[in-house]
Amino acid sequence: MLKFILRRTLLMIPQLILLSLIIFMLAKAMPGDAVTGAFMGNPDATPEQIEKIREKFGLNDPWYQQYGRWIGKAVKGDFGQSYTHQQPVTTLIAGRVENTVLLSLFTAIMIYLMAIPLGIIAGRWTDTWADKMIVTYNYFAFATPLFVFALLMLFLFSFVLGWFPIGGTVDIRIETGTWDYVVSRAKHLFLPVMSAALIGTYATIQYLRNDIIDQKIKDYVKTARAKGVPEGKVYTRHILRNSLLPIAAFLGYEITGLIGGSIFIESIFSYQGLGQLFLQSINLRDFTVVTALVMIFGTATIVGTLLSDIILSIVDPRIRIE
Amino acid sequence: MAKKQFMLLASLLLVLSVFLAACTGKDEKDGAGEKDTSKDPGKDTEQTEDGEDAEEVEEDPNAGLDFPLTVTNTGDPIEGGELNFGLVSDTPFEGTLSPVFYSGAPDADVMSFFNESLFAYDGDYLITNDGAATYEVSDDNKSITIKIGDNVNWHDGEPVKASDLLYSYQLLGHPDYTGTRYTFMISNVEGMPAYHNGETTEISGIEVSEDDKTITITYTEATPSLLSGIWANATPRHHVGDVMTGEVTMEELAASEKIRTSPIGFGPFKVAKIVPGESVLYERNDDYWRGKPQLDSIVLKVVSSASVLEALKKGDIDLSSVPVDQYLNAKEIDNIELLAKVDLAYTYIGFKLGKWDAEKKENITDPNARLADKRVRQAMWYAMDNETIGKELYHGLRFPGTTLIVPVFASFHDASIETPTYDPEKAKALLDEAGFVDVDGDGFREDADGNELVLNFASMSGGETAEPIAQFYMQNWADVGIKVQLLDGRLHEFNSFYDQVEADDPKIDIYQGAWGVGSDPDPSGLYGRTAAFNYTRYTSEKNDELLAAISGEQSLDTDFRAGKFKEWQELMVDEVPVAPTVFRYALTAANKRLTNYSIEPGTDLRLWQWGVTE
Repeated sequence: MLKFILRRTLLMIPQLILLSLIIFMLAKAMPGDAVTGAFMGNPDATPEQIEKIREKFGLNDPWYQQYGRWIGKAVKGDFGQSYTHQQPVTTLIAGRVENTVLLSLFTAIMIYLMAIPLGIIAGRWTDTWADKMIVTYNYFAFATPLFVFALLMLFLFSFVLGWFPIGGTVDIRIETGTWDYVVSRAKHLFLPVMSAALIGTYATIQYLRNDIIDQKIKDYVKTARAKGVPEGKVYTRHILRNSLLPIAAFLGYEITGLIGGSIFIESIFSYQGLGQLFLQSINLRDFTVVTALVMIFGTATIVGTLLSDIILSIVDPRIRIE
Repeated sequence: MAKKQFMLLASLLLVLSVFLAACTGKDEKDGAGEKDTSKDPGKDTEQTEDGEDAEEVEEDPNAGLDFPLTVTNTGDPIEGGELNFGLVSDTPFEGTLSPVFYSGAPDADVMSFFNESLFAYDGDYLITNDGAATYEVSDDNKSITIKIGDNVNWHDGEPVKASDLLYSYQLLGHPDYTGTRYTFMISNVEGMPAYHNGETTEISGIEVSEDDKTITITYTEATPSLLSGIWANATPRHHVGDVMTGEVTMEELAASEKIRTSPIGFGPFKVAKIVPGESVLYERNDDYWRGKPQLDSIVLKVVSSASVLEALKKGDIDLSSVPVDQYLNAKEIDNIELLAKVDLAYTYIGFKLGKWDAEKKENITDPNARLADKRVRQAMWYAMDNETIGKELYHGLRFPGTTLIVPVFASFHDASIETPTYDPEKAKALLDEAGFVDVDGDGFREDADGNELVLNFASMSGGETAEPIAQFYMQNWADVGIKVQLLDGRLHEFNSFYDQVEADDPKIDIYQGAWGVGSDPDPSGLYGRTAAFNYTRYTSEKNDELLAAISGEQSLDTDFRAGKFKEWQELMVDEVPVAPTVFRYALTAANKRLTNYSIEPGTDLRLWQWGVTE
């Protein structure tokens, strides 16, 4: 097991290098750079001055030189300076990470809290009205684009009903560290989390439902029933143990998906996280931030995959990785 | 694994392309089709970024719509009032809260409440003696002496010193300075180039008095831009740390918490708390040099343009700008009042007439350019129905542009010049005269030599109106027989558009752009022979001469300058290197409980007097 994890971790290195190379080249291929954006339309700026700044940031060097410099620092945890923010990228990202992690974590928790019971109900009592309702909800969740749904939620609960704030992470008037502060944060988190969670459940529900239906007619279940195991126990002890396996394995991917998915949510709810920062940086051609963030998202994906494999091997005794 | 890698790459590409396509117009406040080339209209107008001056704009003589400039509520403000300010932006403020280092317009808005320029400005954007400092210009117009008032203190109680203003100059000219504000008015200071190149640590043209309250700045050449362009933002050296003594480096200073989370100024409000990128809480500064401000506190919140109207309606925010495309809905809200002023910007159609010579660093006009004949350019101006664009697509919030000096500059804009208005017949006559006639009978004109003429039109994507506007103009031109097609058959994203226009892509014949003009109307930076931003590459002797006169010493006499401005505007209307299409209104929504609030030029209603009546 240890060996497996170690090997996979080592395998991540070339993956990440490849990823960084692609990101870097793509970023450089985008028209314009941060300096263009900042100076564009400033009639006072002279070409010499712009050139001087480009030179200073090494933007005129060939891409492989720039890449070499960048990767050399990046392995030491230094992603360089953000031009638009006039701040080290690491500081910038560190300031936003908390918000995104909170959002992702609660969304993941909500998804599982809702999806697992619903999936079980739908799978166990197939073709009942409850199952039909869950399946209908599931189609709806599957078909609805996140940004449409989030906007609808915002419109309904913030604008029309006024139950929740229209955006942000906290009410600035409240003193940091008090109980009210926690409540305020929770209130600001609720809508974004629910918007993402309510329509993020479909995959889990669908997998669980289908798997339970599959397992129901398997021989081992028949055997259990024949031996007189009570129906409730058949499910909890036998079927669920197997059906939850793929769900558990999904956990790793789920985490990755949430970081990426939060871009829409963060934009709609003006929630200061990594997603918003990513979007803004692309617009402003703030390459250092863009590349650092894509590296983070990419790393999350690779780590998520690894996590999934590890979880799977732990929960499923049939899989033994050597 | 290879497959996963590919999927990852593919999804990254997708994500990137979606954002590139979808977000180009997002950071533009008015959601308009053509993007203002200066994403931050304030960036070339340093002095408008501070304090109440940001709100001052000259009354517009051409104002077609009846918008008030001042709120009608004249009630007495209540004690302990709180104002909620909505910062309409789809990109959060970056939080670089220093006039020297900041880059985005949202940061300028955040600063305007606590940071103030040493000078007040009048309706012509010229400095006055009503501010925190007074000034006197020397007889030879080469130096200015600034005296800072005795009762002007930073928020931490320290007096504002002359050396604090010197510090700003030291930062702006610093060899390690990477921001955008090392401009002519800075480099023109005597000894600045030497300091900027790192040859010396002293700026010879700046002298600070013994008592540290008076500063004299001497310039290499006298310029009429002095009173509108002088840098007058002090930097609290004791608070942020001194770069000159090596206490901090430039990079550390720009990233410092002292300007990000605990900035100070000497404006009417102090920063009490900042939630980065999201909101700012300001408290009253009882020590404000003009007197005790009326409002107790101000809360600034970033609001997306999609939700600003709802927030105004609910009273969540009291004051904000309104995106132009939401004007009709905003009119229906009854707890707010709409104020408007004419923006320091114009949209235009540019005609490519030459190339930028990077060696010589000057524009070279090509006499054989496809649109070299000015009659053709005039005809294209006559063919454009800008009135309809303004009425139908902007509900009157944009109106036909006239000359290249926006009407805001009342002393320099010449409304008497007759500029082309929509007249297809006149356009056709001009084209006939130029020899552009339809030879082969396909309904479109050929050029003077009888060759087929198809013009490539570059226009930016972004906003809902971008495509209709481009199509509308192309139809306008087709109506008079000029065949115009979109460059590559589509609109272009902001950055790639300017990349191509800037590089004089030979495929581009005409393009649609916009300029945000600074508070100094001097057009040399946009139309001069050596101006890289002169994207049309139009040059002429007459133009050189007039521009030189406008920025020359003689122009210190405003009447002389106005005369040269008039000549220049006439020349531009006759030569048409660019055809201004529309001027624009900027809308502000104010809750009816707001009092003493005005966006009028040189108004006496300043930030410290704003109040709420309930």
